[in-house]
Amino acid sequence: MVQIALVSCGTEYSGIQKEIEKAALKFGAEIILPEIDLDYINEAYEKFGFSAQSSSLKLMIARAMSIVEGKCKPDAVFIATCFRCAEGALVRNEVRRFIQNNTRIPVVTYSFTERTKADELFIRMEALATTVTRRSILAREKQEGLTLGLDSGSTTTKAVLMENNKVIGTGWTSTKDIIASAQTAAAEAFEGTGYKWDDVEGIGTTGYGRFTMGQEFGAELIQEELSVNAKGAVYLADCQKGEATVLDIGGMDNKVITVNNGIPDNFTMGGICAGASGRFLDMTSRRLDVDITELGPLAVQGDWRKAMLNSYCIVFGIQDLVTTLAAGGSKADVAAAACHSVSEQVYEQQLQEIDIREPLIQVGGTSLISGLVEAVSETLGGIEVIVPEYSQHIGAVGAALLVSGMGNRH
Amino acid sequence: MVKVAIYPPNSLILADLIERKGHTPLALQKQIRQKIKDPEIDSPPMNITEEDPINGLKYAAIEVPSGVRGRMSIIGPLIDAAEAAIIVDGAPFGFGCVGCARTNELSIFCLRKKDIPVLEVVYPDDEDGTRLMVNQIMDFLDSLPGGGGDLEGDSDVLGEPIANKGGK
Amino acid sequence: MPANLCITPDLGKEDMDPEVSTRMIILSSKANVSESEVVNFLHMLNLPITIKWTCYGAMISGKDEYVREAIRELRKLDPYGIFTKERGFAPGDPRRCRGHRYGPREGFHQMEKEFKILDYVGEALKNPREVEIEKKEPVSVDYFKEILEEEENKKEDDK
Repeated sequence: MVQIALVSCGTEYSGIQKEIEKAALKFGAEIILPEIDLDYINEAYEKFGFSAQSSSLKLMIARAMSIVEGKCKPDAVFIATCFRCAEGALVRNEVRRFIQNNTRIPVVTYSFTERTKADELFIRMEALATTVTRRSILAREKQEGLTLGLDSGSTTTKAVLMENNKVIGTGWTSTKDIIASAQTAAAEAFEGTGYKWDDVEGIGTTGYGRFTMGQEFGAELIQEELSVNAKGAVYLADCQKGEATVLDIGGMDNKVITVNNGIPDNFTMGGICAGASGRFLDMTSRRLDVDITELGPLAVQGDWRKAMLNSYCIVFGIQDLVTTLAAGGSKADVAAAACHSVSEQVYEQQLQEIDIREPLIQVGGTSLISGLVEAVSETLGGIEVIVPEYSQHIGAVGAALLVSGMGNRH
Repeated sequence: MVKVAIYPPNSLILADLIERKGHTPLALQKQIRQKIKDPEIDSPPMNITEEDPINGLKYAAIEVPSGVRGRMSIIGPLIDAAEAAIIVDGAPFGFGCVGCARTNELSIFCLRKKDIPVLEVVYPDDEDGTRLMVNQIMDFLDSLPGGGGDLEGDSDVLGEPIANKGGK
Repeated sequence: MPANLCITPDLGKEDMDPEVSTRMIILSSKANVSESEVVNFLHMLNLPITIKWTCYGAMISGKDEYVREAIRELRKLDPYGIFTKERGFAPGDPRRCRGHRYGPREGFHQMEKEFKILDYVGEALKNPREVEIEKKEPVSVDYFKEILEEEENKKEDDK
């Protein structure tokens, strides 16, 4: 059984201990507490050097130290503190860095509330359990042979065909029937390559429809999107070593994943506000009567400050933009204001929950809207934003990369 | 006889001294016992459920971390029931319920702003300091209704009268 | 070993009874009695309580009135060396038992620290006397400056 050490200031006082254990057990893991005595707590705390007022944070630091010093040998570490606690967040991040810098043990962090349910923790525990049991797969830095990656998302299905570390075909279609959409996307990817389904050595699936696709196509790898997207992004952006953040502003929901040496260690996901999604930009381009592909370059020419936008909301915000246009405002300024608005809203809702690390790799369909990429960088104080080639196919690339070496169809 | 809230709420010394003087210490352990003996243990190990941090809203706003509110749902009722309080400054804190500095700050503030007799002492690191703390606590307990000079009451608890203060 | 930390305990009837309380009995290091004497004494009381010998003294559990009576009697044995406090969890409750749940118990280290001054507390109760402790004030800026200059001069002289 995979042993996950819990490093926290007290998950049971938010009533979520049971949820954490439920999530771990689902993926064949168990939660353990590093065993330490009082003298060691004080010694470890002094050595670490962070003066925390809360004694439970001292305990948390000492537990981390016992892992780093090998007194406790878990397979993975789950670091959690209360959401909105400044002291907790500081210690959580420093402890995370400390463990990552000094061991090869995979880490996932989380800030919880009393509403945290096992479902929310599943994807984290799955990623953690995967990292442990499939370390050799995640260590893969090069794609070999001929592999197909399929990513069945809630709105679109993507397919990528890779051969010897190169993308040779891509496919993209809106998700209707999971299998039919996957077949359509795959057919598009095969087009012009001369290859057929039978030639493929391995198939990797990811996204919401990964299990359905995996069963139908007999996939060698069925993997949650957290590990796959993180891996795909650092592979394409050539950031496989060190730290990075992966941002995917989707059509319906957004993902932010922090990565250390190609392995995800935290992420946030949100999808409650259309004003913080690609949908807002879609609406804007329709109002401006430009194709979505033209919105980005248009926004880059504009100045968001010149367009009145008093609301982030997809209803009232769009209304403001229409008013600006009616008053003779330029299309470019309106496009810039829309990009700026989405970026600010993503920051307000999600980016604040996570410790952003440079470089930021922006992926997903919206990463092709240059105005949005610029706005994200500006919102984050001029941080370096990388948009790799094939960024819109990130999950499929990740799946094709990770499955290489696993397939033995021939 | 007075119900005396203590901080740290799980202090051995404070609870012990209060009982010696015939008062009732409002100790955390009783609260915990109530929780964990609930026939329906929904959320082991402490049986703090999603409801508790919501009950904690009585003491702290929704913007306050869930861990503070969850702990306040246990400590808060002790503060509500307090008729007097002893707060030890610089005391060693265990972990768990008393492991969160923000909860402790809020609890101590709630005790101070309550209209009850409050004694604040410093946690000692030597013999003289301990004597000072013990003297202050004993004097305070004596000054509370039903305390002080009630040697009979004391003898019932202690077995023999608390040593006369003549030696001062 | 079951490593499920939030094990749902299979509690007995007594464990679920809210009138049943648990007490920890802690002996100061200068106590006139030993752990075994305490345990023997408690057994001799012949009360319907559960008695457990522990590293710090003893733990008793039972109906509140009997537990109180036992404590009252026990204190007579050594009023200044025996200390006691309540405990929330019953003895051996798997949710707090080190055997089931790794890592230190929440309140244990605090007790460990308080234990270190129990001798002084016992002594202060036995032979009370007034003490005064001088509270140190931070040094004044002028004094600080004075010392600084003095040290500077010293260095100059050394050269």
